[in-house]
Amino acid sequence: MSKFCAIIIDIQNHDSINIVSFKAGDFTLSMMSLELDESITVGTEVVLGVKASSVAIAKEFVGELSYANQLDLEIQEIQEGELLCALVLKAKDFELESIITKASKRRMKLQVSDSVTALIKSSDLFIVEVL
Amino acid sequence: MIHINISKKLHGVCGEMSLDIDLNINQGEFIALTGASGSGKTTILRILAGLEVAEGEIKVHDASWLINTKSITPQKRSIGFMHQENALFDNMSVLENLLFVKKDLELALRLLDLTDLTELQNRYPKTLSGGQKQRVSLCRAMMQKPQLLLLDEPLSALDAKMRSKLQADILSLHKEFNTTTIMVSHDPSEIYKLSTRTICLQNGKVIKEGKTKEVLLKSQGSQKFSFEGELLELKEVDVVIIAVVAIGQQIVEVVVSKKEVSTFKVGQKVILSTKAFAPTILHPSL
Repeated sequence: MSKFCAIIIDIQNHDSINIVSFKAGDFTLSMMSLELDESITVGTEVVLGVKASSVAIAKEFVGELSYANQLDLEIQEIQEGELLCALVLKAKDFELESIITKASKRRMKLQVSDSVTALIKSSDLFIVEVL
Repeated sequence: MIHINISKKLHGVCGEMSLDIDLNINQGEFIALTGASGSGKTTILRILAGLEVAEGEIKVHDASWLINTKSITPQKRSIGFMHQENALFDNMSVLENLLFVKKDLELALRLLDLTDLTELQNRYPKTLSGGQKQRVSLCRAMMQKPQLLLLDEPLSALDAKMRSKLQADILSLHKEFNTTTIMVSHDPSEIYKLSTRTICLQNGKVIKEGKTKEVLLKSQGSQKFSFEGELLELKEVDVVIIAVVAIGQQIVEVVVSKKEVSTFKVGQKVILSTKAFAPTILHPSL
């Protein structure tokens, strides 16, 4: 799980569904959620989390994707296993981990210092704790 | 409105403790009392029923059941009490058991109808199953049309199917008569189905109170699935780690990254959590 600090900038609510927007560094992120704790309001600082296996990677992509969170980052580190591959992605102080298949890494010819887009569905992003 | 402000010294498993309860219950509320064994749940019911002494005040609508140490007898309290053990008279039929409490044939037949027991009205308790006996006990507890219905783990000795039937009966009687009810239970699904408010006790004190869903729902941050378990093993596989965690009677595996797991040690308690969007629901046969 990658964790990073963020501040809530907007909450849209309908019945028990919420779409929460955050500012984390230079990025704006969006999270889909059921009922939120009363302590979670606009202006609340939180730690956000996402599983490394929920982070997809796009490279030189042209077109539209439904992913609400598309973060332009640079590959800082690549760790290869037999079938899987762990990537550390960075932009300034913002760090994200992604686990993809080695076949995808090979097909996309991913290398350290490549510019890529990390893709996270809003339903995969979560609040780890309220600060 | 029922006002309860009582205290009593108890001898618990961890030595002497003080039961201190201050509660207001609205007419028609269904309250679940939960907490570990020895936390004082049953004692509260017994004090309300007048079966144990306590200090303080119990006021039911305009009637005082307890002021300081002076209390009215159990017989003068408008209470229905149902236990895990039924206490039916074996020498009386189902209908006679109900009429023994109050000679109101119309009410007895209505209660038997609401709980699908009409066909069993002339049977004797010895010929009934455990679940049927408990349903008769429930009807009998309702014969006085009590102001307060007390249920002390009434379904804990029954199998899952019969529990479900009894839960439906309790709910339909509650809807029909709007009886203020306090139920002691350990079963989260039972508490969720029946109660509107849940009160958690620990060592004689209320440690948590609120709407049942809010009290029961385990959450971590914005994650709606949250379970405590013990970390049994960390297996390095490829570039990831498989964490083996024991939750209740089950062992589960969770894939985590090496970075993520660096601060964890085998044997420690961990919280497994995930978003409400992630799990899938399947039939048990699959």
